[in-house]
Amino acid sequence: MTIEIPQSFWLYFTFFVLLLVDGLWCMLATRNLVRILIGLEILMKSVTFFLIAAGYLSGRMALAQALVITVIVIEVVVVVVVAGIILGFYRKHDSLDVGNTRRMKG
Amino acid sequence: MSDLLLLVPFVAVVLLYLLPKRARTAGLWIAFGILALETAAAFIDRFATIDFGLLAPLGKLLGFHLATDGLSELVILCTGLVGMAALLVARRTLEDENEKFLFANLVLVAVVGINGIAMVRDLFSLYVFVEVTAVATFILIAAGRGDHVFEGAWKYIFLSVVASVLMLTSLGFFLLSTGGITLDAARTGLAANAPLAWIAMALFLCGLFVKGAMVPFHGWLADAYTAAPAPVSVFMAGIVTKASGIFALMRIAQSTLGGATPGREILLVVGAVTIVVGAFLSLTQTNFKRMLAYSSISQMGYIVLALGGDLRLGILAAGLHFFNHAISKSQLFANAAAIEKQLGTLDMDEMGGLGARMPVTAGTSAVASLSIAGLPPLAGFWSKLLIVLALWNAKEYAFAAVAILASLVTLAYFLSLQRRVFFGKPLEKWAGAREASVGLLVPAVALALITIALGVGFPFALKILMGGGA
Repeated sequence: MTIEIPQSFWLYFTFFVLLLVDGLWCMLATRNLVRILIGLEILMKSVTFFLIAAGYLSGRMALAQALVITVIVIEVVVVVVVAGIILGFYRKHDSLDVGNTRRMKG
Repeated sequence: MSDLLLLVPFVAVVLLYLLPKRARTAGLWIAFGILALETAAAFIDRFATIDFGLLAPLGKLLGFHLATDGLSELVILCTGLVGMAALLVARRTLEDENEKFLFANLVLVAVVGINGIAMVRDLFSLYVFVEVTAVATFILIAAGRGDHVFEGAWKYIFLSVVASVLMLTSLGFFLLSTGGITLDAARTGLAANAPLAWIAMALFLCGLFVKGAMVPFHGWLADAYTAAPAPVSVFMAGIVTKASGIFALMRIAQSTLGGATPGREILLVVGAVTIVVGAFLSLTQTNFKRMLAYSSISQMGYIVLALGGDLRLGILAAGLHFFNHAISKSQLFANAAAIEKQLGTLDMDEMGGLGARMPVTAGTSAVASLSIAGLPPLAGFWSKLLIVLALWNAKEYAFAAVAILASLVTLAYFLSLQRRVFFGKPLEKWAGAREASVGLLVPAVALALITIALGVGFPFALKILMGGGA
């Protein structure tokens, strides 16, 4: 079964790519761990948006809805764990500089 | 039974927290018992057909259902064995009771994820369980005491998120191109040669390559393994990376790609490059665990390479190498834990002549090294032979040659490891070094015996596997 891609797909797709690039830029342009975490979140949001758009355009809204809710739950867990790790990082190095994560060699 | 494999570890985690503080030392043994049951479950005939339907409501909501086959049983068996070894190592290497309790809990959470990966039949549930395993592993690494734990955990997190983004984008494309996200729907889409479906498949494969640390996405693995506490690296090297990256690839190669040409070529090229790069990076290492980590990358490449060969033989060879490597590599990391505990260092330049002081560790590590390097009659020889045969049957002679030549490099770095650590004159510096305690030797000896037994009894094992249609 193949689904015809409507013209409006490109509108959604452009917005998805913009958000994705935004998130990547946010992650790569800074040395602050918390800002990188925010960048990760923007990345995940862009993908969530794309899933909804894909579900809407392919007429599988119910499936897409279940997927998106699950993705949001997973995202929350990941944010909590990563924030905890950043906190541990801060306690250890007394700084949020990502340069501290480049000490291992080989 | 398949739903029990998810529910029992999950309920156990909840119940463990209800234990009074004093009784928490039992946590390690409860987790051990659950993993022993899981190992036994892999041997029960037709256990896949028993299903209590406890997860049916959830299945209706998300369209997810569980099914077991030979491949799932393989993962379940490996998880049980490696998990038990990791718990035994944890008992002797983690000092604090709280750390041991946390370790047992997180291992159970990761086991839920791994069992899920072994049994699901659609791409979204696969993603969910991969993520469950990954989150448990982030905490396991970061909860250690070493100098670099946050660095190792951070690199793993960073690349895991990239992998998640790739996999979820791919799911969006699958929805658009085939309207479904089950493995079968993806297969129909690929068979119809829909370009969007192939884009989606390529994105999903890239996500799994990150998770399985295939070159060029291998950067996180060596740091994560080296930084992680000893029992965590046993568990990660033994099963976590393999299940969440490599096994998912095996499942997709088996039920979705089905030997289609573009997919096969991707697997062949990525596998071959990973084998060669991993092996040569391994040659240059001086840290014991780091060398084992790069060796893991290279051996994962063998499994992926086998998937690009003749489909039926390739899956069988990949499965066997999966098992052999899970057993031998977790045993080598258990040996590393013994050495680290006795000497307080993992720098191979400082070691030498430890064979005389630690005969059991030296002997078992020699068995595992030679098995991974592919020396007959150990188990690793047979799986590598089958990989080469699978490639030969598919007329991929050049890739078969790469597989054979790279195993010489494997032998070279493992001999160099043995020579630098165990051979030679005992150094004055380590005159006080003793063999590790029995608790640390039990997992190493048990896993080494499995390697030897499977190697010697291989013709019988193969007959059972072929008869079972695995």
